Amino acid sequence: MALLFEQLLNGLQYGVMLFLMAAGLTLVFGIMNLVNLAHGSLYMVGAYLAVTATQWTGNYLLGVALGLAGTLVVGMAVEVIALRTLYERDHLDQVLATFGLILFFNELIAIVWGRAPLYSSLPPWLQGHIKLFAGSTYPVYRAAVIVVGLLVAALLWYVVTRTRLGMLIRAGASNRTMVGALGVNIKLLYTVVFGCGAALAGLAGLMAGPIYAVQPGMGELILIQVFVVIVIGGIGSIRGALVGAIIVGVVDTLGRAFLKPLLGTMIPPTAAEAAGPALASMLIYLLMAVVLAVKPAGLFANR
Amino acid sequence: MRARLILWGIAALLLIALPPLATALGQPYYVDLARRILILAIAAISLNLILGYGGLVSFGHAAYLGIGAYAVGILGFYGIANGWIHLLVAIGASALVAAAIGAVSIRASGIYFIMITLAFTQMLYYLGISLDVYGGDDGMRLKSRSQFAGLVDLRDPVAFYYVALGVMLLFVFLTYRIVNSRFGMALRAAKSNEARSRAIGFPPYPYRLAAFIIAGAMCGVAGALYANHTGYITPGLMAWHQSGEMMFMVILGGMASTAGPVLGTFALLLVEEVLKGWTEHWQVILGPLLVLSVVFFRRGLAGIFFKPDA
Amino acid sequence: MLEVKGLCKSFGALRASDGIDFHVAEGETHALIGPNGAGKTTFINQLAGTLRPDAGTIRFAGEDITRLPAPRRARKGLARSFQITSVYPGFTALENVALAVQARSGHSFRFWRDARRDPALTGPARQVLEEVGLEERMHVLAGNLAHGEQRSLEVAMALATRPRLLLLDEPMAGMGADESQRMIGLLSSLKRRQTIVLVEHDMDAVFRLADRIAVLVYGRVIASDSPEKIKMNEEVRRAYLGEGA
Repeated sequence: MALLFEQLLNGLQYGVMLFLMAAGLTLVFGIMNLVNLAHGSLYMVGAYLAVTATQWTGNYLLGVALGLAGTLVVGMAVEVIALRTLYERDHLDQVLATFGLILFFNELIAIVWGRAPLYSSLPPWLQGHIKLFAGSTYPVYRAAVIVVGLLVAALLWYVVTRTRLGMLIRAGASNRTMVGALGVNIKLLYTVVFGCGAALAGLAGLMAGPIYAVQPGMGELILIQVFVVIVIGGIGSIRGALVGAIIVGVVDTLGRAFLKPLLGTMIPPTAAEAAGPALASMLIYLLMAVVLAVKPAGLFANR
Repeated sequence: MRARLILWGIAALLLIALPPLATALGQPYYVDLARRILILAIAAISLNLILGYGGLVSFGHAAYLGIGAYAVGILGFYGIANGWIHLLVAIGASALVAAAIGAVSIRASGIYFIMITLAFTQMLYYLGISLDVYGGDDGMRLKSRSQFAGLVDLRDPVAFYYVALGVMLLFVFLTYRIVNSRFGMALRAAKSNEARSRAIGFPPYPYRLAAFIIAGAMCGVAGALYANHTGYITPGLMAWHQSGEMMFMVILGGMASTAGPVLGTFALLLVEEVLKGWTEHWQVILGPLLVLSVVFFRRGLAGIFFKPDA
Repeated sequence: MLEVKGLCKSFGALRASDGIDFHVAEGETHALIGPNGAGKTTFINQLAGTLRPDAGTIRFAGEDITRLPAPRRARKGLARSFQITSVYPGFTALENVALAVQARSGHSFRFWRDARRDPALTGPARQVLEEVGLEERMHVLAGNLAHGEQRSLEVAMALATRPRLLLLDEPMAGMGADESQRMIGLLSSLKRRQTIVLVEHDMDAVFRLADRIAVLVYGRVIASDSPEKIKMNEEVRRAYLGEGA
């Protein structure tokens, strides 16, 4: 029971990280109609910058802040240099160009930091466990990830639905020229939105650092799961991204934790030993297939 | 038309002459390289059928390369070495998986289709990793090459080269016939203007699905050859960047042209080869080159030689 | 031939079709007019099958087709042209029409023979092109044809499916005076041989071609009668013709 609860929390924790990624991706798609495969690279950049900045400054929070700011800048630079010309192109061109960016970023990171995984350390106040009910405990850091993720989700919801910036963002999504006519610098708006999306990815990346390995190519593995999130949640919808992310996070985590023992009760243990991990790794994709069969445009389709 | 046939004839002659030339120059490595390019060109030709002519932006075509390769590897693992059975299973399994993936994904359009095909291929990639019996993450060595008793011995690098060349030319011809047939016209029409197609009575779905299955099966053949080429199978064949590279082979060469995927495969892999000779970090150069090619080089290499087909 | 009863379609709060009844008899040319935003295109799209109605039925040649998808309707003999020109720009005019011929010639799961040299397709296609006066332009890419020629090509594609009913959504839209006259000529040559539903803004064309006229305002048919009676109808004059026609 305690194990189930802990795994549920792990699923939620993975889910909020997926959400941070999905939110940036879906915002950029919804507003600029841009498919950005290199979103995973920004996740990686965030992780590397934060680790390095923490080592430099010796201060974890300062490292996090620098990592975030760095990813924001990198994101805006990428938008201005490479992606701006692609808004009017079809999705195929966008996919191909951002694929090229991935190759570039992965290799650049390998040149600067090497291919071996980095492990980042946490300050004492984020180590240890907090007590939950009935004597079970949960790592402080993972709990902090959940809290930060949910706070960002709330903040995003507020910005998009309640502020002038959010209004511009929603207007820009539906009518580019009209917003331009209102005297808003649409180019700048796009650059800022893209930078914010990048920063969200960077945040997910730097939070992932202490839990998973920081290495070149780390971004693509999560990116493809984020695609699953978006397909399930419906593209262009923040709410869909949140629900989809938590579903995928929980299903994936629980599948990896419990599918093998569960299968073991039904089929011979040696078969379960082989089939369990295979099935667990396929679970979210099968879930995606089911959602597509029932609701082809995702659970919260916006368009 | 005649000019094209002449160009194809010249290209075929050059490719036929390559092994003796390479041997004479004492560079047998080039036969190996060219064989790899020819096999991947087959994969690119199959992708061009759906991407170029069908407008289906599949970011998961490497799946069928992997399935074809695994068909050879797994059958060999259980002691079945007959090449015809290998090919049959490679084609059948690829077609079956393509039918399943296509049935779910072709209903979705545009960006969804890209993400879904990518995700399903990633699923197969993870499946490959979790299959410990067949080497898991590390993959496994083929117990033996596919055997075509008396016909050809794939262990002979030059003979294998000619097999790859023959299959590639065959597939070029096959696709050429398909895209100009009624089926091909219906497929291309749906890409050109889907609303118009529906209005004159073409439901796009069955034609797209059929094209998706044909392309998957063709790529399965490429996968079977590729396993024999490397003598090794690994889940890496199904990795997402393999799918991405295949898309570039088609785009660089020129979409929806007969020669495009072949030209594109040669161009991409030769550039990679040159860059690899310069630096270990060749991808840091290739990446921006690819971005530039998308931004500035829309029509692909075939556009230099021919007017692209509609 | 075509019987529409109680057709409703809403987009949010907007009732684009508000209980439309509409009948077309075999052989007649039935025009549909109405001010901008009256819901004409929404109506045509429901007839052709690109939009699903919220309520109501559409019967075509005695058969309920309300739930059939567009391609099935097309093969039952319902052909349409689009308000905004819709051809295959990268194919020649001949190929465009041949595709329409192909669409009505059974399934297209034929993988080997060159469709562009198939006389069973190109023969009828040439004939239709001659009929609409495009025979000299048949090897030109559709995307390179003049606007009026593209509109004619659309009509040709619709005709090539050998339709029992032709839905024309503003065939004269965006045409110059000369082009309009040619299109009116083409359509009057089709009259009687072909059952036609014609949505059009050009009143000159409507009164020259139509046997009957229905007037659509705010998603309702407020009148449906012969051209003479429609001209006299007070309600129509107020709602529509009074606006400057």
